[in-house]
Amino acid sequence: MSKNTNNTSGKYDLTALMVMAAAREVKNGEVVFAGTGLPMIAIMAAQHLHAPDAVLIYEAGTIDGKTISIPSSVADPRCVYQASVASGVANVFETLQRGLVDLGYLGGAEIDLYGNVNATSIGDYMHPAKRVPGSGGNVDINCLAKRTVYIMVQEKRRFRNRVDYLTSPGWKVKWWDEGAAQPKWVARKKLYPKQFQGGPSAVITNMAVFRFDETGTMYLDTVHPGKTVEDVKNNVEFDLNVKRVTGETKMPTKEEMDILYNEIDPEGIFLKR
Amino acid sequence: MNSIKSEKQISVAEAAAEIKNGDTIIIAGFTVWRKPMAIMYEMVRQGKKDLHLIMNNPSIGVDILIGSGCIKIWESNYCAHEIFGKIGNCFGRAVEEGSIIYEDYGHYHTVLRLQAGATGVPFLPGWSCLGTDLLNPEYDMLGRAGLRDGSNPRIPRKKFEIIEDKFYGEGKIVLVPAARADVCIAHVQKVGAQGTVRIEGQTFACIEAMKAADKLIVMAEEIVPENELRREPGANTIPHFRVDAIVECPFGAHPTGVFGYYDMDGRFISDYHFKSRTKETFKAWIDEWVLGVKDHNQYLDKIGGARLTSLRSNSSLKWSTNVVRR
Repeated sequence: MSKNTNNTSGKYDLTALMVMAAAREVKNGEVVFAGTGLPMIAIMAAQHLHAPDAVLIYEAGTIDGKTISIPSSVADPRCVYQASVASGVANVFETLQRGLVDLGYLGGAEIDLYGNVNATSIGDYMHPAKRVPGSGGNVDINCLAKRTVYIMVQEKRRFRNRVDYLTSPGWKVKWWDEGAAQPKWVARKKLYPKQFQGGPSAVITNMAVFRFDETGTMYLDTVHPGKTVEDVKNNVEFDLNVKRVTGETKMPTKEEMDILYNEIDPEGIFLKR
Repeated sequence: MNSIKSEKQISVAEAAAEIKNGDTIIIAGFTVWRKPMAIMYEMVRQGKKDLHLIMNNPSIGVDILIGSGCIKIWESNYCAHEIFGKIGNCFGRAVEEGSIIYEDYGHYHTVLRLQAGATGVPFLPGWSCLGTDLLNPEYDMLGRAGLRDGSNPRIPRKKFEIIEDKFYGEGKIVLVPAARADVCIAHVQKVGAQGTVRIEGQTFACIEAMKAADKLIVMAEEIVPENELRREPGANTIPHFRVDAIVECPFGAHPTGVFGYYDMDGRFISDYHFKSRTKETFKAWIDEWVLGVKDHNQYLDKIGGARLTSLRSNSSLKWSTNVVRR
């Protein structure tokens, strides 16, 4: 993920801005699935600020840990401190599949207009130009949580017309009729039962925040300070809807910065000094 | 008592020797935590070949096995080193070169496969992955390799199946086949002299993994008196009779970590990630850290006492308060 840098056209802490944009997606009382890295910090920041009763679930098996030292991954012993339950992967995925998770944070190598994400390989899957780690829990969280938020790097080669491999489903997905080699594109909501009608709700990058409209198509919502709509358009392969821009992404406040750097990650594991 | 007598106890080298070329194996643990590294290093020294791997979340150990030519088939959902490396370099290279057969599943489906194996049914249903390339019929790599003809009892005839729910009418649901392995190797905190297993902290998918193989080899930080574990049976995870062999190997999971015993060694994993970026530098790393030491004790000597001590967990908090993490 991106480093804490002074952005070229305005001096502010980009990582903190992205983390706080992610934190604002959490509502108080929600059950949130968080992966390693900035998502962990985002949910902890939300718990410190506006969502003290949010419940954090770690994919490796911990539910509602009260972390006092930032874990470096979801299987870290630091996740478990003062948790309600420390269990296994099956238990937390069962909780997810039971429809009890409100929000999940995810990442990926590529994303398309409908929020389909590639976390598997670049190029032809059979002969990939570059292999990336694979789904992990990306597909499960994105299929089964009520909302997901993607945190990604803004680059034209990552914001694609079509992702090379559809690891994690957006709002229009692939379906193969019996015996068909070629897929057709179908609305995700038609494929999934009534308890799983959620999906990607926001994408947060180093330049902007995107959301999805009623048809499940990505649009630009806010642009980070110092960046323009044109900058964002130049870093997206598809034809981006910019008619619904609501303004600039909110800057992190002094109080928020203090919580991020002094309360949540004083060791600088993810928030570099 | 100087040592705890156990008829099940074998050495790290004997444990690795229990894995035969061509076996289907499951390795318990979660990315950079609680991996049976000492046995995996020894598998490299013993030159294992043609292994068929089914597991969730491999990292450095499997990357080393792949780079050393031990793995023929990889069925999993991930291969990287958390924040210490965004891809297992040997895994990535092997996929790009086509030198291993890779079969991608999601994480939950991988765990369901282990659960199905553990519970003795041929498959289990789960809802995720509909609409994705994980269920692309063209991307059935074992099928494309001609290995789904039913002749190998460890390879199911299909990668997945999609059925209509006939019970509650909730539509399409995915079935994934059981993982049915020859051997599972695991690393845990404590094992009793008779084989009763105690895991502390998160259990990951280890319990399902340990139950899904015909033979179970459990390596532990400590072999403890069986009656000690039986004072609190509710905290035990696998009964003694399911465990075929036990190995005592302190720091046996290094550089991965063990809840309550030691942190993972991030600097070591980062260094491995850097060194594994080309075949030549990987080979040099293996020569130095695996083939260049005769066993895990020599490996630990090479790491050094001060380094290992810095990783040691605080007995109250269960993680290290002395490790340098950045």
